[in-house]
Amino acid sequence: MIVYQCENSLEGVLTAIYQAYEEKCDHADTRISLEEEAFLFAEYRPVVTDAEKARKVTRTLLRRFGEEDYQQLCLCLTSSDARRGQAVYQTVVKGLALRCGKGHLFDQLADADVHLAFSLARNAGRELHHLMGFLRFQELEEGILYARFCPKNDLLPFLMPHFADRFPLENFLVLDEQRNLFGVHPAGKDWFLLRNEQLAAGEENFRTSARELRMEELFRYFCKTIAIGERRNPKLQQNMLPLRFREYMVEFALYKSSE
Amino acid sequence: MEFLSDRGSMGLMEKLGILTDAAKYDVACTSSGVERKGNGRDMGNCVKSGICHSFSGDGRCISLLKILMTNECIFDCKYCLNRRSNDLPRATFTPEEICTLTIEFYRRNYIEGLFLSSGILQNPNYTMELLYRTLAMLRGKYGFNGYIHVKAIPGADGELIRRTGFLADRMSVNLELPTADGLRKLAPNKHRKNILGPMRQIQNGITANQNELALYQNAPRFVSGGQSTQMIIGATAETDYQILSVTESLYRQFELKRVFYSAFVNVNQDASLPALSGGPPLLREHRLYQADWLLRFYGFQARELLDEKRPFFNVLLDPKEDWAVRHLENFPVEINRAPLELLLRVPGVGVKSAKRIVAARRSARLQFADLKKLGVVMKRAVYFITCDGRMMYPTKLEEDYIVRNLTGARDRVQFGNDGMTYRQMTLFDDGGFLGRPTAEDELRVVSGQL
Ligand code: SF4
Repeated sequence: MIVYQCENSLEGVLTAIYQAYEEKCDHADTRISLEEEAFLFAEYRPVVTDAEKARKVTRTLLRRFGEEDYQQLCLCLTSSDARRGQAVYQTVVKGLALRCGKGHLFDQLADADVHLAFSLARNAGRELHHLMGFLRFQELEEGILYARFCPKNDLLPFLMPHFADRFPLENFLVLDEQRNLFGVHPAGKDWFLLRNEQLAAGEENFRTSARELRMEELFRYFCKTIAIGERRNPKLQQNMLPLRFREYMVEFALYKSSE
Repeated sequence: MEFLSDRGSMGLMEKLGILTDAAKYDVACTSSGVERKGNGRDMGNCVKSGICHSFSGDGRCISLLKILMTNECIFDCKYCLNRRSNDLPRATFTPEEICTLTIEFYRRNYIEGLFLSSGILQNPNYTMELLYRTLAMLRGKYGFNGYIHVKAIPGADGELIRRTGFLADRMSVNLELPTADGLRKLAPNKHRKNILGPMRQIQNGITANQNELALYQNAPRFVSGGQSTQMIIGATAETDYQILSVTESLYRQFELKRVFYSAFVNVNQDASLPALSGGPPLLREHRLYQADWLLRFYGFQARELLDEKRPFFNVLLDPKEDWAVRHLENFPVEINRAPLELLLRVPGVGVKSAKRIVAARRSARLQFADLKKLGVVMKRAVYFITCDGRMMYPTKLEEDYIVRNLTGARDRVQFGNDGMTYRQMTLFDDGGFLGRPTAEDELRVVSGQL
């Protein structure tokens, strides 16, 4: 068995796929690994991420499977499941071999690898959709909007374009607390990612604007008032809005009595 | 919870409280149906699937800032908290206040947009004009490009409704009660034709706009997210069959995007209204939503699900299960061969899983073990399907047997121990049974996978 050991990034995996084809591997006996996985009797081949090779693979995938399926593959790779690289690789191999056509990459759901890639992408997609709604910005001094979150999947690169499109003229910052990664959007410009431990450490000194607390209060009051008492159903509420999101949401914040 | 209170006579906080409380019985809070990218200048975009931003203590989605412009009203509908004869605090937002709340909530990602409704201030035209001015300000001066749902006020001038429609993503006129008779009894100031009139007008506006858009891409869009309405369930004596038939004709003849149902909550304790000791008829409302999905996406017709002889939904089974056990001659369905329309009729097979089955069987013969991966709910589907001619395990294709098994986990207490058969049981299901859907059921009805 051959194991391609690649960097944990979209480009890394795409480069590994390029290499597996270039070196004419038997795909059934080849793996792509993003983490330290130990396989007996395996030949390990390190992969050096190569932007040009990755671009070529992207072009092929887009041409053969279309934009939507390509997005699903990318979403799958945001997962933290150790098998994500392998699932993407095998799904691509099978899709190319079967000439499945645009929008049909995930048709073979009875296949274990395709199903795994599909499930990881679906889980990530669900979390992404949740976060598009549940992410909360606070207004800092000088009008900058600031949000913190802690997603299971590495979704910041997917969230930024959504909010950049939505708030084109706002300066905003989103911090993935677990990965210490900032998404930065300067008003009227392109967004970018920034890994900055210093900024993250100084985060506690961020000061909210004078009217911020009032807006939060208004929204909390709105959320409380909109519920119909006769239909109270905390269990349904919890099913729809899992507890892990709530620590970041103002409407569930408990204010200290001194305020 | 405690809230910081306002200083002064009637602050924004107090108004928001009054006008949210007055709006909460309106059901629709969805922001779906419109895909609109940002324009690089204004604030906002729209996402086709809609986005839920929070969930309130009753488990309902909070997507829009759902408020009334005013809870003053010249009318006296019996079921309504805001009716003229009620003595309660009244408030009216200024257009600026509505714009500020919408923009500031939207920037913080609390909401997808605004849902603006209103009591009738002075007269329908005056009210509609105010709604129009508010939306014009929000779109114009405040540059808001997010989702807006606005009510069309029955009786308002057609031109006003038309102009407002060009600023909104969705418009709705509430049918309020399923039949003209019910309306006459409980909303004496409203007339069925004043409700259907604007509904027809919005429909025509949408059609005309689609033609216009086909000609000029840049023509302004009119109510691009479509039209919706809602009915109150359980305040009047209509049967489920009557309600579902009304729904069906609303979809067919008025091309509505959605019909919403609102379990009646007796806020006024009015003598002409039912007391409903068991609380709002939530199970009934739930069944209607399930049937509504079956009409829109599963190819069912109202009279397949109910008829004059069985005018109420089964309390124990969902409408699809109920249809299936009464039509066993259509089963079992062979997973590897059956056409999509038939797969859609199998309990436990949702629209998504039916499509996945059709896609997956092109390259493989599907086994029972695969079906779970495709999203089929086996504990419900198992009685109705075969894979390559075999059932998963021996089951009887027999009404009582299947019903007992389908309902086994859910209702062992009410059903089964005393030797009562399913057929006898359904005799009781005249809508008087007060059940409550489980959280799992509710999830199914939200996602529409039945
Ligand atoms: S018109 Fe009827 S339903 Fe509408 S606010 Fe006035 S009283 Fe209530």
